Amino acid sequence: MQKVKRSILLETRHVTAAYGKLEVLSDVSVRFRKGRLTAVAGPNGCGKSSLLKAIMGFLPVSGGEIVLEGEPVARIGRKKLARRIAYLPQDCFCPDYMTLGELIELAGYSRYALVGGPSERDRALYRQVLETVGLSDRAGFPVNKLSGGQRQRAWIAMVLAQDTDIVLLDEPVNHLDMKYQFAVLELIRELTEIYGKTVVAVLHDLNLTTTFADDVVLMRSGKCVTSGPVAETVTTGNVERVFDLKTQIFPRDGRLVCFPERSGQAAVS
Amino acid sequence: MERRTIFLLAVLPLLVVALALNLLVGYRPEDMPGLIGAVLRFEAQSYEEAVLLFQRLPRSLIAIYVGSIAAASGFVLQSLVRNPLASPATMGVNAGAALFLVAGALVFDIGPALQGVAALAGALAGFVSCIVIARFAGRRNDPRGLSLILSGALVSMLFTGMTNAFLLSDPARRSEFLSWVVGTINHAYIDRLAMFWWVGAAAIVAFLLLARPLTLILFGAEKAASTGVNVPLVSRIAILAAVLGSGSVVAVCGPIGFVGLIVPHMVRPFVGNNLVFALPASLATGAVVCLLADVFAREALYPYVLSTGLVTDLIGGVVFVIIVKRFYLTPANREAA
Repeated sequence: MQKVKRSILLETRHVTAAYGKLEVLSDVSVRFRKGRLTAVAGPNGCGKSSLLKAIMGFLPVSGGEIVLEGEPVARIGRKKLARRIAYLPQDCFCPDYMTLGELIELAGYSRYALVGGPSERDRALYRQVLETVGLSDRAGFPVNKLSGGQRQRAWIAMVLAQDTDIVLLDEPVNHLDMKYQFAVLELIRELTEIYGKTVVAVLHDLNLTTTFADDVVLMRSGKCVTSGPVAETVTTGNVERVFDLKTQIFPRDGRLVCFPERSGQAAVS
Repeated sequence: MERRTIFLLAVLPLLVVALALNLLVGYRPEDMPGLIGAVLRFEAQSYEEAVLLFQRLPRSLIAIYVGSIAAASGFVLQSLVRNPLASPATMGVNAGAALFLVAGALVFDIGPALQGVAALAGALAGFVSCIVIARFAGRRNDPRGLSLILSGALVSMLFTGMTNAFLLSDPARRSEFLSWVVGTINHAYIDRLAMFWWVGAAAIVAFLLLARPLTLILFGAEKAASTGVNVPLVSRIAILAAVLGSGSVVAVCGPIGFVGLIVPHMVRPFVGNNLVFALPASLATGAVVCLLADVFAREALYPYVLSTGLVTDLIGGVVFVIIVKRFYLTPANREAA
């Protein structure tokens, strides 16, 4: 029992949150396990992004609490939280003329003194981060002039440079074509496998989820329908409950493949 | 070498050249060694040297103060309100400071020290009016912030009109305060600089300490907060510093318009949006622009001396039109800023 608890790093307990009158999360209880890649999946508007925003404190929580290693997140200061959790919003905007090197240097803000900048240790970390994302030769290059796939890796580099145990990624592969989706997710996979980070990523695509994630949280209309290891959670029954879609799911090369069946109807309510 | 490095290396010698021009234009070449010696020794042995030390040098110091504070404040305001037209001149800050100063002097008969305090209060009042009116005008549904600039123009017109009304009502003393309609750099204002320089100095210190978090805010409030920035606190301190710094400029020599608008646009293509580099560059470039504008104001129609503020207004007006055309009237550039 004790052992199970220690492997849980981040947890939401009966979290309810709303934008004004519109409730976007209702009674969500999810546990994110240490060193695992957890995918949050579900149809559009189901509260996937809201869950990450609630964890970061950007969405006021009206009920329940979010706990990071036994400590309520709401009581952790911004700077302290930034040393524990890094977050990549869905639509990232980079000011013009900003280079990749600057982007990464800024990410370490929570570690710097009021006067002064990165230490030798920080600089070594930044070099390593650039190597990890495969952009070592691009440090002096403006971020807005990188290609789509490179830019997404640049944002992941910024998140990595924050040097946190936990990484929250909101739709990290949304605008990328299939080749880059795989490359970026392969990189995200490395974060857990090589660096031991705990990663929570919002993903649309169930096949990407089954290919890369360890655990999955399936959401629908602000509620967590079910969560757990991918192999046990992604079942035809659960997928139909979450997406209103009949699928065939079969194992192939050690992972699950979801294959939606055609409904024969043009419109789905 | 990077463009940024070249710019930062070039701007300091440029500052020295602009300062030398500002001090020495009009003197005979053969007098130069003596004059430079007089400045370095801070001792006047002739009439020319006295003019240099007690008229030109104060002017230069005021120009440097005014230019650097206005430019840095403009850069910070443009970054925080995400609007390329934001500046102390376009957001009602300068007009508010001028109004409070003139009203204080003419109606309540306060001395220079309290006039300065009135200017600081007026700067805040102008800024707050601009924001409040923009809110009413539906700034939230206006992603490009046009309503903010329009309400800034409205506040400026209203406040400047009131300033003019106060001036017209007091024919005996109005010539003394005409500088607060169009900023004028005059050696007599060195006393005011001696009184208020620390306000601008404090603003610069605040800007430089907050350069990194301010740059992170450019990435959006949530991204900035996730990296550890206290976004509301940093924004408030920076805006307060920009507004009070600009207020102190008006307290010294009246509204030297548009330096705060144009210098950020001159600096950005070379140095970028990272305030760690852009702030020092803006400080130096603002000083250069003001020193040169002051030389032009003095020499262009010699023996008549123009108001330096008039010169910066003329340059600024043209740049304003260019920015409006590029940012608001060109569809392709909508996302650029």
